[in-house]
Amino acid sequence: MHYTLHFGQVTPEIPYLLWGALISLELSVMAFAGGMVIGMVGAIMRLRGGRWLSRLARWYVTFFTNTPQLVQIYFIFFALPEVGILLDPFPAVLLGMTLNAGGYLTEILRAGLASVHQQELDAAETLGMSHLQTLRYVILPHIFKVVMPAMTNQYILMTLGTSMAAIFGVEELTGRAFNINSTTFRSIEIFLLTGGIYVLVTLAATSLLALVGRYAFRARVRIL
Amino acid sequence: MSFLDIHDLGARYGSLRVLDGIDLSVEQGEVVSLIGPSGSGKSTLLKVITGLMKPDRGRVTLAGAAVDYSNRKSLKAARDRLAIVFQQYNLFGNMTVLRNVTVAPTTIKKRNRRQVEEKARELLDRVGLGDKLHVYPDQLSGGQQQRVAIARALCLEPEILLLDEVTSALDPERVSEVLDTIRLLAKDNIAMLIVSHEMSFVRDVSHRIAFMADGRVQEIGSPEQIFDNPQTDRTRDFVGRISRVGH
Repeated sequence: MHYTLHFGQVTPEIPYLLWGALISLELSVMAFAGGMVIGMVGAIMRLRGGRWLSRLARWYVTFFTNTPQLVQIYFIFFALPEVGILLDPFPAVLLGMTLNAGGYLTEILRAGLASVHQQELDAAETLGMSHLQTLRYVILPHIFKVVMPAMTNQYILMTLGTSMAAIFGVEELTGRAFNINSTTFRSIEIFLLTGGIYVLVTLAATSLLALVGRYAFRARVRIL
Repeated sequence: MSFLDIHDLGARYGSLRVLDGIDLSVEQGEVVSLIGPSGSGKSTLLKVITGLMKPDRGRVTLAGAAVDYSNRKSLKAARDRLAIVFQQYNLFGNMTVLRNVTVAPTTIKKRNRRQVEEKARELLDRVGLGDKLHVYPDQLSGGQQQRVAIARALCLEPEILLLDEVTSALDPERVSEVLDTIRLLAKDNIAMLIVSHEMSFVRDVSHRIAFMADGRVQEIGSPEQIFDNPQTDRTRDFVGRISRVGH
Protein backbone atom coordinates (compact mmCIF):
# COMPACT_ATOMS: atom_id res chain seq x y z
CA MET A 1 0.00 0.00 0.00
CA HIS A 2 1.43 3.33 -1.03
CA TYR A 3 -0.34 5.92 0.96
CA THR A 4 1.33 8.99 2.41
CA LEU A 5 -0.36 10.49 5.40
CA HIS A 6 -0.99 14.21 5.00
CA PHE A 7 -2.18 15.67 8.26
CA GLY A 8 -1.50 19.20 6.98
CA GLN A 9 -4.97 19.52 5.48
CA VAL A 10 -6.63 18.18 8.58
CA THR A 11 -4.85 19.82 11.52
CA PRO A 12 -6.46 23.26 10.99
CA GLU A 13 -9.77 21.48 11.61
CA ILE A 14 -8.80 20.26 15.07
CA PRO A 15 -10.58 23.09 16.96
CA TYR A 16 -13.69 22.42 14.84
CA LEU A 17 -13.53 18.74 15.80
CA LEU A 18 -12.91 19.53 19.47
CA TRP A 19 -16.03 21.69 19.59
CA GLY A 20 -17.81 18.71 18.09
CA ALA A 21 -16.42 16.53 20.87
CA LEU A 22 -17.93 18.97 23.35
CA ILE A 23 -21.35 18.43 21.77
CA SER A 24 -20.81 14.65 22.02
CA LEU A 25 -19.93 15.10 25.68
CA GLU A 26 -22.96 17.28 26.25
CA LEU A 27 -25.18 14.64 24.69
CA SER A 28 -23.70 11.79 26.71
CA VAL A 29 -23.77 13.68 30.04
CA MET A 30 -27.38 14.78 29.58
CA ALA A 31 -28.53 11.35 28.43
CA PHE A 32 -26.66 9.70 31.32
CA ALA A 33 -28.20 12.07 33.86
CA GLY A 34 -31.69 11.42 32.47
CA GLY A 35 -30.96 7.70 32.32
CA MET A 36 -29.93 7.77 35.99
CA VAL A 37 -33.27 9.28 36.99
CA ILE A 38 -35.15 6.63 35.00
CA GLY A 39 -32.76 3.97 36.34
CA MET A 40 -33.34 4.90 39.98
CA VAL A 41 -37.11 4.97 39.61
CA GLY A 42 -36.96 1.75 37.59
CA ALA A 43 -34.73 -0.02 40.12
CA ILE A 44 -37.00 0.93 43.02
CA MET A 45 -40.05 -0.18 41.00
CA ARG A 46 -38.36 -3.50 40.19
CA LEU A 47 -37.51 -4.28 43.80
CA ARG A 48 -40.13 -2.52 45.89
CA GLY A 49 -42.90 -1.71 43.45
CA GLY A 50 -45.16 -4.67 44.08
CA ARG A 51 -46.37 -6.94 41.33
CA TRP A 52 -47.52 -4.51 38.63
CA LEU A 53 -44.96 -1.72 38.95
CA SER A 54 -42.20 -4.31 39.06
CA ARG A 55 -43.59 -5.95 35.94
CA LEU A 56 -43.88 -2.60 34.19
CA ALA A 57 -40.22 -1.81 34.91
CA ARG A 58 -39.22 -5.26 33.66
CA TRP A 59 -41.07 -4.73 30.37
CA TYR A 60 -39.38 -1.38 29.96
CA VAL A 61 -35.94 -2.91 30.49
CA THR A 62 -36.70 -5.80 28.15
CA PHE A 63 -37.86 -3.48 25.40
CA PHE A 64 -35.02 -0.98 25.59
CA THR A 65 -32.19 -3.44 26.08
CA ASN A 66 -33.34 -5.85 23.39
CA THR A 67 -33.84 -3.48 20.47
CA PRO A 68 -31.04 -1.58 18.75
CA GLN A 69 -30.56 1.95 19.96
CA LEU A 70 -30.44 3.15 16.36
CA VAL A 71 -33.88 1.70 15.72
CA GLN A 72 -35.20 3.41 18.87
CA ILE A 73 -33.88 6.79 17.73
CA TYR A 74 -35.20 6.23 14.21
CA PHE A 75 -38.58 5.53 15.71
CA ILE A 76 -38.54 8.74 17.74
CA PHE A 77 -37.26 10.78 14.81
CA PHE A 78 -39.41 9.41 12.01
CA ALA A 79 -42.45 7.77 13.58
CA LEU A 80 -43.38 10.31 16.24
CA PRO A 81 -44.01 13.10 13.69
CA GLU A 82 -46.89 10.92 12.43
CA VAL A 83 -48.65 11.57 15.73
CA GLY A 84 -47.73 15.24 15.70
CA ILE A 85 -44.54 15.09 17.79
CA LEU A 86 -41.81 16.63 15.71
CA LEU A 87 -38.37 16.77 17.34
CA ASP A 88 -35.16 18.37 16.11
CA PRO A 89 -32.23 15.98 15.64
CA PHE A 90 -30.47 16.83 18.92
CA PRO A 91 -33.50 16.40 21.24
CA ALA A 92 -34.60 13.31 19.31
CA VAL A 93 -31.21 11.64 19.75
CA LEU A 94 -31.04 12.81 23.37
CA LEU A 95 -34.47 11.34 24.11
CA GLY A 96 -33.58 8.06 22.41
CA MET A 97 -30.29 7.76 24.25
CA THR A 98 -31.88 8.70 27.59
CA LEU A 99 -34.63 6.09 27.30
CA ASN A 100 -32.11 3.47 26.24
CA ALA A 101 -29.72 4.35 29.08
CA GLY A 102 -32.68 4.21 31.47
CA GLY A 103 -33.15 0.54 30.59
CA TYR A 104 -29.53 -0.44 31.22
CA LEU A 105 -29.16 1.73 34.32
CA THR A 106 -32.34 0.26 35.81
CA GLU A 107 -30.65 -3.14 35.73
CA ILE A 108 -27.31 -1.83 37.03
CA LEU A 109 -28.91 0.09 39.91
CA ARG A 110 -31.28 -2.77 40.70
CA ALA A 111 -28.29 -5.02 41.23
CA GLY A 112 -26.74 -2.34 43.48
CA LEU A 113 -29.92 -1.87 45.48
CA ALA A 114 -30.37 -5.61 45.88
CA SER A 115 -26.88 -5.85 47.37
CA VAL A 116 -27.58 -3.46 50.27
CA HIS A 117 -27.23 -5.57 53.42
CA GLN A 118 -30.37 -5.95 55.48
CA GLN A 119 -28.16 -5.77 58.58
CA GLU A 120 -27.03 -2.26 57.72
CA LEU A 121 -30.65 -1.24 57.19
CA ASP A 122 -31.58 -2.74 60.57
CA ALA A 123 -28.72 -0.82 62.20
CA ALA A 124 -29.81 2.43 60.52
CA GLU A 125 -33.37 1.90 61.69
CA THR A 126 -32.50 1.14 65.29
CA LEU A 127 -30.08 4.06 65.40
CA GLY A 128 -33.12 6.20 64.62
CA MET A 129 -32.41 7.20 61.01
CA SER A 130 -35.38 8.32 58.94
CA HIS A 131 -35.98 6.76 55.50
CA LEU A 132 -34.33 9.76 53.85
CA GLN A 133 -31.31 9.63 56.16
CA THR A 134 -30.94 5.90 55.54
CA LEU A 135 -31.06 6.55 51.80
CA ARG A 136 -28.45 9.28 52.04
CA TYR A 137 -26.00 7.79 54.52
CA VAL A 138 -26.35 4.07 53.94
CA ILE A 139 -28.14 3.02 50.75
CA LEU A 140 -26.79 5.42 48.11
CA PRO A 141 -23.11 5.23 49.15
CA HIS A 142 -23.37 1.45 49.14
CA ILE A 143 -25.07 1.32 45.73
CA PHE A 144 -22.57 3.67 44.12
CA LYS A 145 -19.65 1.75 45.53
CA VAL A 146 -20.98 -1.48 44.06
CA VAL A 147 -22.17 -0.19 40.69
CA MET A 148 -19.42 2.33 39.92
CA PRO A 149 -17.48 0.06 37.50
CA ALA A 150 -20.63 -0.98 35.62
CA MET A 151 -21.84 2.61 35.53
CA THR A 152 -18.51 3.82 34.16
CA ASN A 153 -18.69 1.21 31.39
CA GLN A 154 -22.22 2.27 30.57
CA TYR A 155 -21.13 5.89 30.38
CA ILE A 156 -18.25 5.08 28.01
CA LEU A 157 -20.55 3.07 25.75
CA MET A 158 -22.92 6.02 25.70
CA THR A 159 -20.16 8.50 24.87
CA LEU A 160 -19.12 6.34 21.94
CA GLY A 161 -22.77 5.82 21.03
CA THR A 162 -23.25 9.56 20.52
CA SER A 163 -21.63 9.05 17.10
CA MET A 164 -25.02 7.76 16.00
CA ALA A 165 -26.27 11.31 16.22
CA ALA A 166 -24.29 12.05 13.06
CA ILE A 167 -26.77 9.96 11.07
CA PHE A 168 -29.52 12.37 12.12
CA GLY A 169 -27.50 15.44 11.23
CA VAL A 170 -26.25 16.45 14.67
CA GLU A 171 -22.85 18.04 14.20
CA GLU A 172 -21.05 16.32 17.01
CA LEU A 173 -17.58 14.80 16.66
CA THR A 174 -18.41 12.13 14.07
CA GLY A 175 -20.78 14.47 12.22
CA ARG A 176 -18.02 17.02 11.92
CA ALA A 177 -15.58 14.36 10.78
CA PHE A 178 -18.08 13.49 8.02
CA ASN A 179 -18.21 17.16 7.03
CA ILE A 180 -14.41 17.50 6.76
CA ASN A 181 -14.20 14.23 4.92
CA SER A 182 -16.65 15.37 2.27
CA THR A 183 -14.51 18.40 1.45
CA THR A 184 -10.96 17.06 1.88
CA PHE A 185 -11.37 13.32 1.18
CA ARG A 186 -8.52 12.69 3.64
CA SER A 187 -10.54 9.91 5.27
CA ILE A 188 -7.68 8.04 6.93
CA GLU A 189 -6.20 11.13 8.59
CA ILE A 190 -9.60 12.47 9.61
CA PHE A 191 -10.86 9.27 11.16
CA LEU A 192 -7.52 8.56 12.83
CA LEU A 193 -7.73 11.98 14.42
CA THR A 194 -11.40 11.56 15.31
CA GLY A 195 -10.66 8.18 16.88
CA GLY A 196 -7.83 9.77 18.88
CA ILE A 197 -10.15 12.45 20.21
CA TYR A 198 -12.72 9.80 21.24
CA VAL A 199 -9.97 7.96 23.12
CA LEU A 200 -8.96 11.15 24.94
CA VAL A 201 -12.56 12.02 25.82
CA THR A 202 -13.40 8.56 27.15
CA LEU A 203 -10.12 8.27 29.06
CA ALA A 204 -10.76 11.63 30.69
CA ALA A 205 -14.30 10.63 31.60
CA THR A 206 -13.21 7.23 32.94
CA SER A 207 -10.49 8.78 35.09
CA LEU A 208 -12.86 11.37 36.46
CA LEU A 209 -15.50 8.76 37.31
CA ALA A 210 -12.84 6.49 38.81
CA LEU A 211 -11.58 9.34 41.00
CA VAL A 212 -15.10 10.13 42.17
CA GLY A 213 -15.76 6.43 42.75
CA ARG A 214 -12.58 5.84 44.65
CA TYR A 215 -12.61 8.84 46.92
CA ALA A 216 -16.32 9.41 47.40
CA PHE A 217 -17.56 5.82 47.52
CA ARG A 218 -14.45 3.67 48.09
CA ALA A 219 -15.22 1.81 44.88
CA ARG A 220 -12.49 -0.58 43.79
CA VAL A 221 -11.77 0.93 40.39
CA ARG A 222 -8.47 1.43 38.65
CA ILE A 223 -7.52 4.93 37.60
CA LEU A 224 -5.81 4.37 34.20
CA MET B 1 -42.44 0.27 87.75
CA SER B 2 -39.30 -1.19 86.19
CA PHE B 3 -37.25 0.70 83.63
CA LEU B 4 -38.16 -1.79 80.91
CA ASP B 5 -41.38 -3.61 81.48
CA ILE B 6 -42.71 -6.25 79.11
CA HIS B 7 -46.13 -7.73 79.58
CA ASP B 8 -47.77 -10.58 77.65
CA LEU B 9 -45.75 -9.79 74.52
CA GLY B 10 -46.51 -11.86 71.43
CA ALA B 11 -45.13 -11.93 67.89
CA ARG B 12 -45.07 -14.26 64.92
CA TYR B 13 -43.42 -14.86 61.58
CA GLY B 14 -46.40 -15.53 59.32
CA SER B 15 -48.28 -18.37 60.92
CA LEU B 16 -45.38 -19.38 63.17
CA ARG B 17 -45.73 -18.03 66.69
CA VAL B 18 -42.30 -17.09 68.07
CA LEU B 19 -43.22 -15.04 71.12
CA ASP B 20 -46.11 -16.31 73.14
CA GLY B 21 -46.78 -14.06 76.09
CA ILE B 22 -43.45 -12.77 77.36
CA ASP B 23 -43.38 -11.19 80.80
CA LEU B 24 -40.06 -9.63 81.71
CA SER B 25 -38.64 -6.58 83.42
CA VAL B 26 -35.27 -4.88 83.64
CA GLU B 27 -34.50 -2.36 86.38
CA GLN B 28 -32.28 0.65 85.95
CA GLY B 29 -28.65 -0.47 85.95
CA GLU B 30 -29.63 -4.12 86.01
CA VAL B 31 -28.09 -6.77 83.74
CA VAL B 32 -30.58 -9.41 82.65
CA SER B 33 -29.59 -12.27 80.36
CA LEU B 34 -31.76 -14.43 78.18
CA ILE B 35 -30.72 -18.01 77.68
CA GLY B 36 -32.46 -20.92 76.00
CA PRO B 37 -32.35 -23.23 73.02
CA SER B 38 -32.16 -21.91 69.46
CA GLY B 39 -35.56 -20.87 68.20
CA SER B 40 -36.87 -20.09 71.66
CA GLY B 41 -37.50 -16.45 70.68
CA LYS B 42 -34.59 -14.67 72.43
CA SER B 43 -33.36 -12.70 69.42
CA THR B 44 -36.91 -12.08 68.25
CA LEU B 45 -37.68 -10.52 71.61
CA LEU B 46 -34.86 -7.99 71.09
CA LYS B 47 -36.12 -7.34 67.55
CA VAL B 48 -39.57 -6.59 68.86
CA ILE B 49 -38.29 -4.32 71.65
CA THR B 50 -36.31 -2.27 69.12
CA GLY B 51 -39.19 -2.11 66.66
CA LEU B 52 -37.55 -4.15 63.89
CA MET B 53 -40.48 -6.50 64.17
CA LYS B 54 -44.03 -5.64 65.21
CA PRO B 55 -45.64 -7.40 68.16
CA ASP B 56 -49.15 -8.74 67.69
CA ARG B 57 -50.13 -8.48 71.31
CA GLY B 58 -48.92 -7.31 74.68
CA ARG B 59 -47.23 -4.18 75.97
CA VAL B 60 -43.72 -2.77 76.25
CA THR B 61 -43.13 0.10 78.65
CA LEU B 62 -39.86 1.98 78.62
CA ALA B 63 -39.04 4.52 81.34
CA GLY B 64 -42.70 4.69 82.28
CA ALA B 65 -43.99 5.32 78.74
CA ALA B 66 -45.84 2.62 76.79
CA VAL B 67 -44.26 2.10 73.36
CA ASP B 68 -46.70 2.27 70.46
CA TYR B 69 -44.91 0.38 67.68
CA SER B 70 -47.23 1.63 64.96
CA ASN B 71 -46.57 5.24 65.90
CA ARG B 72 -43.30 6.64 64.51
CA LYS B 73 -43.00 9.30 67.18
CA SER B 74 -43.46 6.88 70.02
CA LEU B 75 -41.01 4.44 68.43
CA LYS B 76 -38.43 7.18 67.96
CA ALA B 77 -38.78 8.21 71.60
CA ALA B 78 -38.15 4.60 72.64
CA ARG B 79 -35.17 4.27 70.31
CA ASP B 80 -33.69 7.41 71.83
CA ARG B 81 -33.37 5.52 75.09
CA LEU B 82 -32.04 2.21 73.84
CA ALA B 83 -29.28 0.85 71.67
CA ILE B 84 -28.70 -2.60 70.25
CA VAL B 85 -25.58 -4.50 69.23
CA PHE B 86 -26.18 -7.22 66.67
CA GLN B 87 -24.69 -10.65 66.20
CA GLN B 88 -23.28 -9.64 62.78
CA TYR B 89 -22.04 -6.21 64.00
CA ASN B 90 -24.04 -4.44 61.23
CA LEU B 91 -21.47 -1.66 60.81
CA PHE B 92 -21.81 0.69 57.85
CA GLY B 93 -19.27 -0.52 55.31
CA ASN B 94 -18.94 2.85 53.61
CA MET B 95 -17.93 4.71 56.79
CA THR B 96 -14.74 4.75 58.82
CA VAL B 97 -14.73 3.42 62.37
CA LEU B 98 -15.01 6.94 63.79
CA ARG B 99 -17.85 7.88 61.43
CA ASN B 100 -19.72 4.68 62.26
CA VAL B 101 -19.66 5.70 65.90
CA THR B 102 -20.52 9.38 65.39
CA VAL B 103 -23.03 9.29 62.54
CA ALA B 104 -26.13 8.72 64.64
CA PRO B 105 -25.40 11.19 67.48
CA THR B 106 -24.39 13.97 65.08
CA THR B 107 -26.83 13.58 62.22
CA ILE B 108 -29.86 12.16 63.98
CA LYS B 109 -29.61 13.49 67.49
CA LYS B 110 -27.95 16.70 66.28
CA ARG B 111 -25.45 16.76 69.10
CA ASN B 112 -22.37 18.92 68.93
CA ARG B 113 -19.96 17.28 66.48
CA ARG B 114 -16.81 18.10 68.41
CA GLN B 115 -18.16 16.77 71.69
CA VAL B 116 -19.47 13.63 70.02
CA GLU B 117 -16.11 12.98 68.37
CA GLU B 118 -14.33 13.44 71.65
CA LYS B 119 -16.68 10.98 73.27
CA ALA B 120 -16.29 8.54 70.37
CA ARG B 121 -12.50 8.66 70.61
CA GLU B 122 -12.74 8.01 74.33
CA LEU B 123 -15.09 5.04 73.80
CA LEU B 124 -12.97 3.57 71.02
CA ASP B 125 -9.95 3.96 73.26
CA ARG B 126 -11.79 2.11 75.96
CA VAL B 127 -12.61 -0.82 73.71
CA GLY B 128 -8.98 -0.88 72.59
CA LEU B 129 -9.41 0.60 69.13
CA GLY B 130 -8.08 4.09 69.65
CA ASP B 131 -5.60 3.55 66.83
CA LYS B 132 -8.21 2.40 64.29
CA LEU B 133 -10.32 5.54 64.00
CA HIS B 134 -9.83 6.04 60.28
CA VAL B 135 -9.93 2.49 58.99
CA TYR B 136 -12.98 0.87 57.41
CA PRO B 137 -14.89 -2.09 58.92
CA ASP B 138 -13.67 -4.52 56.26
CA GLN B 139 -10.10 -3.87 57.42
CA LEU B 140 -10.90 -5.11 60.94
CA SER B 141 -11.26 -8.56 62.46
CA GLY B 142 -14.67 -9.74 63.62
CA GLY B 143 -13.84 -9.06 67.26
CA GLN B 144 -12.66 -5.55 66.46
CA GLN B 145 -15.79 -4.87 64.42
CA GLN B 146 -17.94 -6.04 67.27
CA ARG B 147 -16.14 -3.71 69.66
CA VAL B 148 -16.76 -0.83 67.24
CA ALA B 149 -20.43 -1.81 67.24
CA ILE B 150 -20.43 -1.66 71.05
CA ALA B 151 -18.76 1.77 70.98
CA ARG B 152 -21.34 2.93 68.42
CA ALA B 153 -24.17 1.81 70.67
CA LEU B 154 -22.62 3.47 73.71
CA CYS B 155 -22.00 6.77 71.92
CA LEU B 156 -25.78 7.16 71.75
CA GLU B 157 -25.70 7.28 75.56
CA PRO B 158 -28.51 4.74 75.85
CA GLU B 159 -30.24 4.03 79.10
CA ILE B 160 -30.48 0.39 78.18
CA LEU B 161 -28.22 -1.65 75.94
CA LEU B 162 -29.47 -4.75 74.12
CA LEU B 163 -26.85 -7.31 73.08
CA ASP B 164 -27.90 -9.97 70.61
CA GLU B 165 -25.52 -12.95 70.66
CA VAL B 166 -22.63 -10.58 70.19
CA THR B 167 -19.98 -13.30 70.32
CA SER B 168 -21.53 -16.07 68.25
CA ALA B 169 -20.07 -14.88 64.93
CA LEU B 170 -16.57 -14.58 66.39
CA ASP B 171 -13.56 -16.87 66.39
CA PRO B 172 -13.04 -18.40 69.84
CA GLU B 173 -9.95 -16.30 70.51
CA ARG B 174 -11.90 -13.11 69.81
CA VAL B 175 -14.73 -13.93 72.18
CA SER B 176 -12.96 -12.95 75.36
CA GLU B 177 -11.97 -9.49 74.11
CA VAL B 178 -15.63 -8.66 73.47
CA LEU B 179 -16.85 -10.20 76.71
CA ASP B 180 -14.24 -8.28 78.69
CA THR B 181 -15.54 -5.08 77.14
CA ILE B 182 -19.08 -5.92 78.21
CA ARG B 183 -17.93 -6.81 81.71
CA LEU B 184 -16.49 -3.33 82.00
CA LEU B 185 -19.82 -1.82 80.97
CA ALA B 186 -21.71 -3.88 83.51
CA LYS B 187 -19.71 -2.15 86.19
CA ASP B 188 -20.83 1.22 84.78
CA ASN B 189 -24.36 0.74 85.97
CA ILE B 190 -25.93 0.70 82.53
CA ALA B 191 -29.00 -1.52 82.13
CA MET B 192 -28.45 -4.42 79.76
CA LEU B 193 -30.53 -7.14 78.22
CA ILE B 194 -28.20 -9.81 76.90
CA VAL B 195 -28.88 -12.77 74.65
CA SER B 196 -25.94 -15.13 74.87
CA HIS B 197 -24.82 -18.72 74.63
CA GLU B 198 -21.69 -18.03 76.71
CA MET B 199 -22.93 -19.54 79.94
CA SER B 200 -19.97 -18.76 82.15
CA PHE B 201 -20.06 -15.15 80.99
CA VAL B 202 -23.80 -14.90 81.55
CA ARG B 203 -23.43 -16.34 85.02
CA ASP B 204 -20.65 -13.95 85.83
CA VAL B 205 -22.15 -10.73 84.53
CA SER B 206 -25.93 -11.01 85.10
CA HIS B 207 -28.02 -9.92 88.04
CA ARG B 208 -30.85 -12.08 86.80
CA ILE B 209 -31.20 -14.72 84.12
CA ALA B 210 -34.34 -15.63 82.19
CA PHE B 211 -34.62 -19.06 80.63
CA MET B 212 -36.72 -18.99 77.48
CA ALA B 213 -38.30 -21.83 75.52
CA ASP B 214 -41.21 -21.99 73.07
CA GLY B 215 -41.56 -18.21 72.97
CA ARG B 216 -42.04 -17.85 76.72
CA VAL B 217 -39.99 -17.06 79.77
CA GLN B 218 -40.06 -20.40 81.57
CA GLU B 219 -38.09 -19.31 84.60
CA ILE B 220 -36.35 -16.19 85.81
CA GLY B 221 -34.04 -15.89 88.76
CA SER B 222 -30.56 -15.22 90.05
CA PRO B 223 -27.64 -16.93 88.27
CA GLU B 224 -27.32 -19.26 91.25
CA GLN B 225 -30.97 -20.25 91.04
CA ILE B 226 -30.91 -20.88 87.27
CA PHE B 227 -27.65 -22.79 87.18
CA ASP B 228 -27.52 -24.49 90.58
CA ASN B 229 -31.09 -24.81 91.66
CA PRO B 230 -33.47 -24.52 88.69
CA GLN B 231 -37.13 -24.62 89.60
CA THR B 232 -38.63 -26.06 86.42
CA ASP B 233 -37.89 -29.28 84.58
CA ARG B 234 -37.27 -27.44 81.29
CA THR B 235 -34.60 -25.24 82.86
CA ARG B 236 -33.02 -28.19 84.66
CA ASP B 237 -32.93 -30.16 81.44
CA PHE B 238 -31.37 -27.26 79.46
CA VAL B 239 -28.79 -26.37 82.10
CA GLY B 240 -27.95 -30.06 82.52
CA ARG B 241 -27.38 -30.46 78.81
CA ILE B 242 -25.20 -27.39 78.37
CA SER B 243 -23.08 -28.20 81.39
CA ARG B 244 -22.48 -31.65 79.90
CA VAL B 245 -21.12 -30.10 76.69
CA GLY B 246 -18.70 -28.08 78.73
CA HIS B 247 -20.02 -24.52 78.86
